[in-house]
Amino acid sequence: MDTQEAVAESTPVENDGQPDAKRDGQKRFTLGPNDSLEGKLTYGGHMTVDGGRAEGEFRVGGNIEIGNGTVVKALLEGSNVTIKGELEGRLTARDKLFLGKSAKVSGDVQTRRLQIEDGASLNGYVRMGDFEQQAGS
Amino acid sequence: MATSGWATLSSRPVARRPTPPPAAEPPRESSPTPNQPNSVTLGPRDRVIGQIYIEGDLRVSGTVEGEIEVSGDLEIEDMAKVKASLAGRDVSIRGQVNGAIVARKRLIVARSGSLIGDVHVARLVIQDGATFSGKVSMGAAAQAPAKATETKPVVPEPKPVVPTPGVEAVAQSSGPIVPGPIVQAPINATMAPSPAAKAAIVPVRTDRKATKKDALPPKDKPKRR
Repeated sequence: MDTQEAVAESTPVENDGQPDAKRDGQKRFTLGPNDSLEGKLTYGGHMTVDGGRAEGEFRVGGNIEIGNGTVVKALLEGSNVTIKGELEGRLTARDKLFLGKSAKVSGDVQTRRLQIEDGASLNGYVRMGDFEQQAGS
Repeated sequence: MATSGWATLSSRPVARRPTPPPAAEPPRESSPTPNQPNSVTLGPRDRVIGQIYIEGDLRVSGTVEGEIEVSGDLEIEDMAKVKASLAGRDVSIRGQVNGAIVARKRLIVARSGSLIGDVHVARLVIQDGATFSGKVSMGAAAQAPAKATETKPVVPEPKPVVPTPGVEAVAQSSGPIVPGPIVQAPINATMAPSPAAKAAIVPVRTDRKATKKDALPPKDKPKRR
């Protein structure tokens, strides 16, 4: 019955030159209701799609946020990914994926941490903690 | 000569048969409708290997391997280790689960929970810190199995009458009794009734297939013409 007390190990900091290390004043851009983005994007900062249209392949060093009521068809990759709208396509979150209550995701998902709120919809395969070996499991 | 022999042979079983059913019926009341919630708990030292069907709620803190089907809510507690396919209305997981899950209403994987397996759910909640790997099917994809599981309890009701009290007896006796070996003995008892329950379920599936087959040919014929 005695559970082993989890000893908090100080995980060795191993930055393989990851671009998502916090910099001062990290870049960010937002796609508003009248904006549209189509194609392949590689970007160092944060990305927000709030009401705009986005299709393609987006690899972002920072965080991605898809706002309520937004429909995105894309391959997404980012550190922290927050989805409150609709997403069609593969998704990779290097750190955490958050699906809000209004989120609708169809596509395979790979993430280190996962949080899904009640009401969110998800269809696809979920893989966790596979690509970062230091996952605290 | 021969007729008298037949008479005696036939009279014996007839005389014996009526006795067991009355013994089995009284524990289960004539109204098997789950108006009164039936709740079963498997403690942290309990272990089940096989099939469980419970008309009501189930809470698991121990080890289960095999198959769990619950008409009500299913809770897998922190200490639990489950290698089984799970089916229930509300399913919440705080322990370790390895297996496919069907939740007719909602599946919750709490922060202490770990789940590996494919999931058919109407609603899904995963708390931060939980571990989950598998395929998620929600909405339209989850509705088909939901209907199947809802019809199951209705049809086999007469037959599970015997197994269900047996499972209850196992669970209740295993609660206060701590040592493991004693729990193992009734496992055989739970194994025996489960095929009966499964046999009762099979006709439902064949009916569904039959209806599909009936539905398909008319579609094909117009195309060929």
